[in-house]
Amino acid sequence: MRIAVCLPQVPFARGGAEILAERLVQELQARDHEATLVTVPFKWYPGTRALSQAFLWRMLDLEEVDGRPIDRVIATKFPSYVVRHPNKIVWLVHQLRQAYDLDRTEFRQFGERPLDRATRRALHRLDRLALGEARRVFAISRNVADRLERYLGMQAEVLVPPPQNLAYRCDEYGDFILSVGRLDRAKRVDLLLEAVAGDEKAKAVVVGDGPDRERLERLAKSHGLDGRVRFTGHVDGAALADLYAGCLGVYYAPIDEDFGLVPYEAFLAEKPVVTTVDAGGPTEIVVDRESGLVCSPSASAVREAVSWLAAHRDEAQRWGRHGKSLAEQVTWNAAVERLLGS
Amino acid sequence: MRVAYFSPLPPDRSGIADYSALLLPALSERIDVKVVRRGARRPPFRTDVALYQVGNNPEAHDWIVRALRRQSGVVVLHDFVLHHLVAGMTLGTGDRRAYLTALEREAGVLGRMLGHAVADGSIAPLWETRAEEFPLVHWVLDHAEGVIVHSGYVEWRVRAAGYTGPVWRVPMPVPPPPPARDPGLPQGAPLIGSLGHLNEAKRVPQLLEAFVLLRQTRPEALLVLAGWTSPRLALDERLSRLGLERGRDVLVLDYVPEDRLWNLIRRCDVCVSLRSPTMGETSGMVVRMLAVGTPVVVSDVGWFSELPDSVAAKVPVDRWEVETLAAMLDLLAGDDDLRRRMGEAGRELARSHHAVGHVADLYTAALEEVAGRDEVELTVLRDVAQAAGEVGLTPDSAEIETLTKRLREVGIGG
Repeated sequence: MRIAVCLPQVPFARGGAEILAERLVQELQARDHEATLVTVPFKWYPGTRALSQAFLWRMLDLEEVDGRPIDRVIATKFPSYVVRHPNKIVWLVHQLRQAYDLDRTEFRQFGERPLDRATRRALHRLDRLALGEARRVFAISRNVADRLERYLGMQAEVLVPPPQNLAYRCDEYGDFILSVGRLDRAKRVDLLLEAVAGDEKAKAVVVGDGPDRERLERLAKSHGLDGRVRFTGHVDGAALADLYAGCLGVYYAPIDEDFGLVPYEAFLAEKPVVTTVDAGGPTEIVVDRESGLVCSPSASAVREAVSWLAAHRDEAQRWGRHGKSLAEQVTWNAAVERLLGS
Repeated sequence: MRVAYFSPLPPDRSGIADYSALLLPALSERIDVKVVRRGARRPPFRTDVALYQVGNNPEAHDWIVRALRRQSGVVVLHDFVLHHLVAGMTLGTGDRRAYLTALEREAGVLGRMLGHAVADGSIAPLWETRAEEFPLVHWVLDHAEGVIVHSGYVEWRVRAAGYTGPVWRVPMPVPPPPPARDPGLPQGAPLIGSLGHLNEAKRVPQLLEAFVLLRQTRPEALLVLAGWTSPRLALDERLSRLGLERGRDVLVLDYVPEDRLWNLIRRCDVCVSLRSPTMGETSGMVVRMLAVGTPVVVSDVGWFSELPDSVAAKVPVDRWEVETLAAMLDLLAGDDDLRRRMGEAGRELARSHHAVGHVADLYTAALEEVAGRDEVELTVLRDVAQAAGEVGLTPDSAEIETLTKRLREVGIGG
C-alpha cells in the first residue's frame, strides 16, 4: 500500500508528534508498505493565520503522485487532517488547543474581539468538516478523544502510540529525577525545580529545549540549584537511553497533556513516573502507587513525591517493573493493524 | 463581544417571553448581552451582532421583525410558518402592497393573485386556511445572517426554502423543576394527562376517542386536560357524545400556574402531547415532561418525530391514529418497567440536551461565529489572494477556480 503520513512542521521544533510520525513511516516501511512523510511548515498565529495555513493542506493533491495513486493518507495533528483524500485516516495527536481547552487560559491565543472569537469558531467548523471526512478517526489518548467529544460531539477510537525506539535498560536507581520534553510553560518543569529546591538532597536532569528554557535556568539559579539541576538541551537517542537507565524516576506533569511518550519510555527503562492529577494523558497510564506517584500540581506535593521515591527505592523498582509490563503491551504491530484496517 | 437581544419578555405572556427569561441569565454569563427595549427600531450603538427572537404572533413580534428588516442579524425561528405574523405586519397595518410582495416572493404570480383575493375579502384568510402552504418565512430569512432553529425538521424546511446561510440547531431549554407537591388530583389508575392549549391541532378529539377505548380495558383510568380550551372544540358536547362525564372520567382544568403544572406532569402516569398539522414548532411542555421523567406519547410529526424512541411513543397521524394511541396508552399503563425506563431516558435527555447552560453555549457559538465572520473571511481571502498573485495567478487563471472551490469546502467565501 502507498501511504502518506501527514505532519505539520513547526520549523526548528521537534517533539512527540514528530517522533511518532517518523516512527510510523518506518514501521509501515518495515511491513512492506511504501510510506513517506509529508510535511508542510506551520505557524498558527497571529489572528487568522491558523486558518490560512490550514488551507495550504487543503490545496495539496495527495490522491496520486507520478501517475500512481496514493492509497491512503494518515494525518496526525492540526492542520494536517484538513488534507483531502478519499481514504483519509486521522491518528489525532491534537487539535489546535488554543481554540479549545486553552481558550481563555493563560495559554490563550484568541482574545475577546469579534475577529478572535469568530476565528476560534471557524477553526471548530473546519475541524468538524475535516475530521468528519475521515474514514476513521483515532486519538492518541482518551484525553484527546474526550476533548473531541466534549467540544465537537465527535467520536474517536483510542489508539495509544508505542514509544520511540531506544536502547531501553535499567542500570540503577540513581540519585536524580529525569525530566524529558520540550521546555514550554505548559510542561511545568518549574514545579520540579521548586521541588528540588525544597529538598537539599534532590537532584534533577532536564532534557529538552524550548521557549521556556531561559526562564527555567534563571529560576534554577535563583534557587541556588547549581550542581543539583542540569539542563542538557536536546540529546541524542543513546544519551537519552543512558539517562533513563540511570535515573531514580521520571517527572512528567504537563497541564492536561494529550498523551506524551515519556511515561512509556520511563516504564521501558523500569522507572516510576511522578505526575500530577491534572496532567491529562499521563494519568491514563500512570497508576498511583502501582507504577508511580500521582500528586497534586504543587511544588510541595512534587517535592514530597520526589523525596518519597528517594527514600523508598524498593518501591521505585517495583513500580518501574510494573510499568514495563504495561509498556511492553503497546506495540507497533497492533497499531499498524488498526490504522490499516478497513 | 456585545449582542443586541430582541425578544418579548415577561410580563408578556408568551412562550418566547418565558424562553428568553430563562435563557438570558445563562447567556449573559457567557457574552455581553444588551436587552433591547420593546419598540426599539435598531440595535443599540456599538453592538457586534443582533439576535432576533421570532414567532408567529404579530402583537409580540412586529417591532422585532421590523428592526430585523432594518438591520440584519441572527434569527431564532420559533415557528417556521409565519403567515399570521406577516399578515399582521402588512394587511394588519393597512399595507396591502407589502402583503402582496411577500406572497409573490413565496409563490410567484399565483401568490400575488391569492393575496389580492384575501385583501379584497373574496377568499378566507390564508393564515387561517392555508398557512402551511404559504409560510412566508422569506420575510425574515431574507434578512438573516444566520438562523437558529430547534429541530432538524425546521432546519430542513429552512434549507428547502433556499436559505444558504448558516443554520444552527439549538435545543429548547428546560426550566428548573419546582419542588414536588401534591397537585390535588383524585385517585385514578392510570392517570393520563394532556397539558397546554386544548384545540383540534393538539388532536384533543382523537385523544378523547382513544381514551374511551382505553377505558374499555381500564375503567379506572382518569384523563386530565389542563390549559386554555378553544371554543371551537365544543368540549362539553364532545364529552357528552362520547359518554364521558366531566369531573368523574375527565378532569378539565383551565389555566394552571407553572408550579402546579409541573406537579400535574409528575403525578401523571403518561402524558400525551399530540400535534397535527405542525407549524415546525417545538413543545416546551414535552421538554418539561422529559425533565421530570413522565413517559410521553406524541404525534409522529415534525420535531416530535425527532425525539428518541427511548423517551417517547410516537403515534402516526393516519386513519388508525385513535386505535394506535389507545393501544399505546394501554401498553404504557400496564407496564411499570417500561414507564420507568422511558422516564429515566427522558430525564437523561433533558439533562444532556436541554440544560440551559448547554443551550447558552450553543447560542454563544452561533453568535461568535457570525459576529466576526466577515472579517475572518476577508483576512483569510486576502492572505490567499496575495499568495496567488505573488506566484503569478491572475483572476482568469484556471487555478483560481480550484482555489475558490477549496476555500468554499472549508467554509471560506462561500
